[in-house]
Amino acid sequence: MGSTATPEHDGRGEKSDDGKGGRRRDRRKLGPLGRFALFNRQIVAELRKVVWPKKQELRQYTTVVIVFVIVMIGLVYGIDYGFSKLTFWIFG
Amino acid sequence: MLTAFAKAFKTPDLRKKLLFTLAILVVYRLGCNIPAPGVDFRYVKECVSQASTSGGSLFGLVNLFSGGALLQLTIFALGIMPYITASIILQLLTVVIPRLEALKKEGQAGQTKITQYTRYLTLALGVLQATGLAATARSGNLFSQCSVGSQVVSSQSYMTIVTMVVTMTAGTAIIMWLGELITDRGIGNGMSILMFTSIAAGFPGQIWQIKQQKGWLPFTLVIVLGLCLVGLVVFVEQAQRRIPVQYAKRMIGRRAYGGTSTYIPLKVNQAGVIPVIFASSLLYIPALVVQFSGSTASWANWVEQNLTKGDHPIYMVIYFLLIVFFAFFYVGISFNPEEVADNMKKYGGFIPGYRAGRQTAEYLQYVLTRITWPGSLYLGLIALVPLVALVAFNANQNFPFGGTTILILVGVGLETVKQIDSQLQQRSYEGFLR
Repeated sequence: MGSTATPEHDGRGEKSDDGKGGRRRDRRKLGPLGRFALFNRQIVAELRKVVWPKKQELRQYTTVVIVFVIVMIGLVYGIDYGFSKLTFWIFG
Repeated sequence: MLTAFAKAFKTPDLRKKLLFTLAILVVYRLGCNIPAPGVDFRYVKECVSQASTSGGSLFGLVNLFSGGALLQLTIFALGIMPYITASIILQLLTVVIPRLEALKKEGQAGQTKITQYTRYLTLALGVLQATGLAATARSGNLFSQCSVGSQVVSSQSYMTIVTMVVTMTAGTAIIMWLGELITDRGIGNGMSILMFTSIAAGFPGQIWQIKQQKGWLPFTLVIVLGLCLVGLVVFVEQAQRRIPVQYAKRMIGRRAYGGTSTYIPLKVNQAGVIPVIFASSLLYIPALVVQFSGSTASWANWVEQNLTKGDHPIYMVIYFLLIVFFAFFYVGISFNPEEVADNMKKYGGFIPGYRAGRQTAEYLQYVLTRITWPGSLYLGLIALVPLVALVAFNANQNFPFGGTTILILVGVGLETVKQIDSQLQQRSYEGFLR
């Protein structure tokens, strides 16, 4: 992973260079490009710690959402169809 | 899963909430179908059907957000947009104006006052937009390609225009009220639900249009692409960065409290669909202004050329930037690291390795910024991907199945389903999400 200089870069020695001191000194030394690279490494480091949904969970949520959305669309479409016929009958 | 839906309806107060929300949606759709006074219904119908087949440049975009009501000049023609715009403006102003900021910090009472301001602003915007719409309809600019476009408003007298404006503004107020009712007594966030409904209303017609214009193969491709996007959106919405929190064990009287470890879930896309809604509702304003003013000045031409088509590069860039901006902005106002750190300190919680208080807040901020960057880029890219595919496809510019549509439909759907589910679980049912 290289040095990401995150507040907790190896999960244990977090206290040594968290937040302010270490990182800021690092930043001053780096040029804008270096800082950008550091920031990107930090982003990747954080993204690695993200808990991504598992396959089964993903499948379940996706199905539920798709069913829900389709049901709602169908419902709204039905309501709309009725009302447009109604307005057509009254005003048309 | 279907049994879970049935269970949701068997639980008395959840059923009440669901039926209440549905009833409000019915009222909303009813208002979206009743023509405003002074409008000749038959001519409007004729012109709308012409406009949808020939594909007016602005119509697709604007109509999408009002659920087709705007072009039909109904009493709910303005839709939820003025309310959304007003709340964006107020939230932006809260950062700028110290008095509003003080109000926000006051807590409940101040928040009520800000909500009140939002309502006033909504009405003001409603009057503005209604006047624009009525005037455009009267002069015949609304349907410039339609042969009977100038006869859409039956009488040219000012009284008719005033009546239309008053009716539409009142409609806006009612929609606002409906939205708040859903938030208070129904399921989900009223504003998002109404937005969802508007988009859902236009969806079947638009997707069918693809089939009719392009045939079965692109139609199937679009559906498959859409389903993949749904999966992707769900995937990222569910992704969390969990920050461990340890609670100190303490004795109060003879009982031990705390000593548990939990986590603060920071979503990769902490802001949800709000940035997309905000960005698209801001971006449609210039187009709307041009359409209403009927101006042919150079700026108007520029807007017409660059901002009304979803697949124009400038439009895409601005849209993307706005989404990224609003993602950060919304995370900034909705998640306050200092407050969270303070609360944790109060109840004896801490993040292992960080001191309570300022250091914790700084750490939270650190993680939040680094997690929101990819999150906001994801939002922006998803909103654009179908547009890019579209350019490659060389399809109709009023592509309905865009990223915005999917983000809003899926985002709001997921939010609502989760809310229903958590209510089910409170009553110890299994729910549909295990």
